[in-house]
Amino acid sequence: MPSSKKKNNHHRLEDYAPIVTSGVIKEIEELAHLFGPVKMVHVNSTKEGGGVAEILGWFIPILEDLGMEVKWDTITGDTEFFTVTKKFHNALHGMHEDFTEEMFRTYLDNVQSNAPVIPEDADFVVIHDPQPAAMILKYPERKNKWAWRCHIDLSVADLRVWSFLRPFVECYDAAVFHMPQYTKNLMSPQFLLPPAIDPLAPKNEELTDEEMSKIMVKLGVPRDKRIIVQVARFDRLKGPFGAIKAFQMVRRWHDARLILAGGSATDDPEGQAVLAEVMEMVEGDEDIHILDLPPDSHREINALQRVADVVIQNSTREGFGLTVTEAMWKGKPVVGTDIGGIRHQIMHGVSGFLTHSVEGLAYRIRQLFGNPGMARRFGTQAREYVRNNLLVPHHIRRWLLLFHSLRQSNGDVITL
Amino acid sequence: MAKPFQFFTEQGIVYYSTFKADNLKSLLTGLRGVPSSSIFYHLYHSLLRRHFTTTDYMNDFAQWVWGVLWHKTLGEKLASFDPLEFTRIRDARARLIEIVDNYVGESEYFLRVPEEQAFYFLCVKSFIYPVGIKASNLHELIQALRIVSPQSLFYHLIESRLRLRKASNDLSIWLEEDMEQPELASKINAISPYEYNLEEIRNRIITLLHNAVK
Repeated sequence: MPSSKKKNNHHRLEDYAPIVTSGVIKEIEELAHLFGPVKMVHVNSTKEGGGVAEILGWFIPILEDLGMEVKWDTITGDTEFFTVTKKFHNALHGMHEDFTEEMFRTYLDNVQSNAPVIPEDADFVVIHDPQPAAMILKYPERKNKWAWRCHIDLSVADLRVWSFLRPFVECYDAAVFHMPQYTKNLMSPQFLLPPAIDPLAPKNEELTDEEMSKIMVKLGVPRDKRIIVQVARFDRLKGPFGAIKAFQMVRRWHDARLILAGGSATDDPEGQAVLAEVMEMVEGDEDIHILDLPPDSHREINALQRVADVVIQNSTREGFGLTVTEAMWKGKPVVGTDIGGIRHQIMHGVSGFLTHSVEGLAYRIRQLFGNPGMARRFGTQAREYVRNNLLVPHHIRRWLLLFHSLRQSNGDVITL
Repeated sequence: MAKPFQFFTEQGIVYYSTFKADNLKSLLTGLRGVPSSSIFYHLYHSLLRRHFTTTDYMNDFAQWVWGVLWHKTLGEKLASFDPLEFTRIRDARARLIEIVDNYVGESEYFLRVPEEQAFYFLCVKSFIYPVGIKASNLHELIQALRIVSPQSLFYHLIESRLRLRKASNDLSIWLEEDMEQPELASKINAISPYEYNLEEIRNRIITLLHNAVK
């Protein structure tokens, strides 16, 4: 459903009314109106590239449309600082990294020197992710409300890094996580705010059959057999090898094609190596299509998800799994690993299947191929789940509620 | 002249209670100690979160016990627990504890699940506010019901029982007391949110109202 009402190339909240109903939009507008004039600042590490910048890119204009004054700032730093914060990022995800005292000093020195200035009259300050987390220390006399928004999975965080960051996080009025499994033992309140997808964005907007066919021709994938799709960057954690093995089991019974579509960033040597291994594994197999797509291939991803009969997500770790959300929004039955955000989204046996092995993945794909009615029913339920929980308006509503919570921290039932 | 029915909504933000359970015993400990808003979230609010579907088990406790702990008998007992029979969270909590405690008392072993499958007791902070829609008669009520959000329906049909501490919802109470439609009020009150999702309930109420104004 492409929208014609755009302001500065951004969608307005009312554009989403045909999708989530005008009643829902009206209630969100009222929630914003109840604030009166509000000023807020968001700080992250970049305005270009990455999921956080992408979210803030659509999130901030909508808040401004709702009458809020929003400033978006970034923390600057030299290569040394960002090398350290990249190591923090990896270690917080549970990867092994070596640290020295010097690295922690580099982090603190940079935050002290390069953190943006927060205006005194800002009502709310939202700091995204670890890079600028310590900047709260610069404002010991602060009167505004501060929230730390964590976009990463801290469930297996390296204790050296987490113990270093934790005292800063506990200075905030609230910490905000995607899911309960990512929360930590903190003195401050921990709110849960899952991410969302934009149904009007090129990656998710409706496509005609003709548009989809053109894209599939361009990608070189015939639509002559049933199609299984996994969208994920080429990374071992996304389980591409297991997906191929599962497909080989399915193919003994069903004529089908497997598409593994994703990107492999040029600055990620491991991604290139995984892609090369995958290519070697499927060499000569005309029913398996490995598509290494550029980062702006939104309509291509959209078409691939829409032509799929079954979408799979065979990851062994997943922050939230927005590719699952995207496929569910397109009414597809999704078979995903029973982990993290995938488990959070799929109701097993109601809106998709959760699996624990390659064999389980193959079995559930076969089950869906053999039961088109079940596949359709799952797809319908999946789309309704996303329509009711994981679209842009829900995300805006949750943030507004969080701001109201920061203002009125007492009690669990508040009449506005 | 009868006073109009004013539509409100209830919007909630979820936070972590800092208590999680990894087996039946710790579930029981949690049930005894978590804030009321956590019981509300897992028992009542779950109806709103899954309002578009009718799944096997609508409350979170039953889902976890059945789907993760694999205690099928207890899962069924918890699933059949109807929170709408209670007008106070404290009574619903007491009944839940009784059901789980009885089962725990009969068991010798307690399966412990890994942390990623633990039951996280979550709380909801609810904000209630008017949505600017009123109905003064049945025709206006039909129009309003077509557009109000699922959260508003939840507030009036489910949450209102706790707020008013009555075995009825406030829409039915308004129909009975202000519109003098006791039969219609009773029929609406008899629609179970456990048997129909909120959209089906919305349509059923609109059909009942249509029949009443014919």
